[in-house]
Amino acid sequence: MNIQTESMLTDEEIEIFQEIMNIAFGKSAADLADVIDTHVVLSVPYIRIMHVTALPDYFREHVKDYKNISIVEQKFWGRFKGDALLVFSAGAGKELVSMLQHEEKSGFESDPVDILERETLMEVGNILIGACVGKIAELLKDVITYTPPMIIMEKYSCDAIYDSQYNPDGTAIVLKTDFSFDNGNVSGFLFLVTSQESIRWLKDALRIFIEQYE
Amino acid sequence: MIRKILIVDDSPIARKMLKTCIPKDQGYEFYEAGDGKDGFEKYKDVKPDVTFMDLTMPVMTGYESLEEIIKYDKNAVIIVVTADVQIKAIKKCMKLGAYMVLRKPLKREHIHSALSNARDTLQKAD
Repeated sequence: MNIQTESMLTDEEIEIFQEIMNIAFGKSAADLADVIDTHVVLSVPYIRIMHVTALPDYFREHVKDYKNISIVEQKFWGRFKGDALLVFSAGAGKELVSMLQHEEKSGFESDPVDILERETLMEVGNILIGACVGKIAELLKDVITYTPPMIIMEKYSCDAIYDSQYNPDGTAIVLKTDFSFDNGNVSGFLFLVTSQESIRWLKDALRIFIEQYE
Repeated sequence: MIRKILIVDDSPIARKMLKTCIPKDQGYEFYEAGDGKDGFEKYKDVKPDVTFMDLTMPVMTGYESLEEIIKYDKNAVIIVVTADVQIKAIKKCMKLGAYMVLRKPLKREHIHSALSNARDTLQKAD
């Protein structure tokens, strides 16, 4: 953890938030498993908090193994507000389409592959972001609304997030988990970009959450 | 009778949260482990009456640890405590020999009820 992170959340606050994320990812996996009718195995979630100005470099470093990526983006509003970015490697869309085709073959046969991939990634992104952010909000007693998901397909990974994209005073919460399925593997990063105002609310909300266990 | 309780979870805060849900007036002895492998080793050392086990952990998952413990002691009382709320995950735990599965976030009444059931089971076995 770097000095910037320490000034945003304490170690204990990060641990509490990580546990909340663990619960939120569990909900995401369950919602996704319902759709694709398979068991979703999650890795241990990993969390980093940083100033938004450090995000492009961090992002480039962590997606350097992917030549191209696809991003599902959704904005959310509540006391906790910001942008959720779900980043998949470029092959994830095809992999997910093939899993869904196995379940719903007749509905997909006439659609062009790129549209299927786009629709599938949007749907999966909507489920994962909605369940994850929604569960955080529920546990921290917030109410959140969302924009419809937007998708950026097959973007060269180094250009996907650039320096001036977000308010430089913002804060990025980087959450990573790998999803693997009984019948295929897809991995992804979830980035939540939020504001200092939301971080201040988050600190209070985490304190109230943990008080019920004291 | 329950005297020794082992809590296996990679998150220190999750272990602390679970401990606060357990009645403090029963004189339980607590033991903790931070991953499934450590949990299995602690199980063999301590021989706990009840083990609380997370599933998503590094080094050795809760599924693997559960399987190892049940192979070692088929009467082990292992209560899985997990954020993984998929039906298939719950069925897999029960098939591996879990005593019961509790969903995170934990609630005191669920922990009390689980311990009460475990106490009855252990008494019948004696």
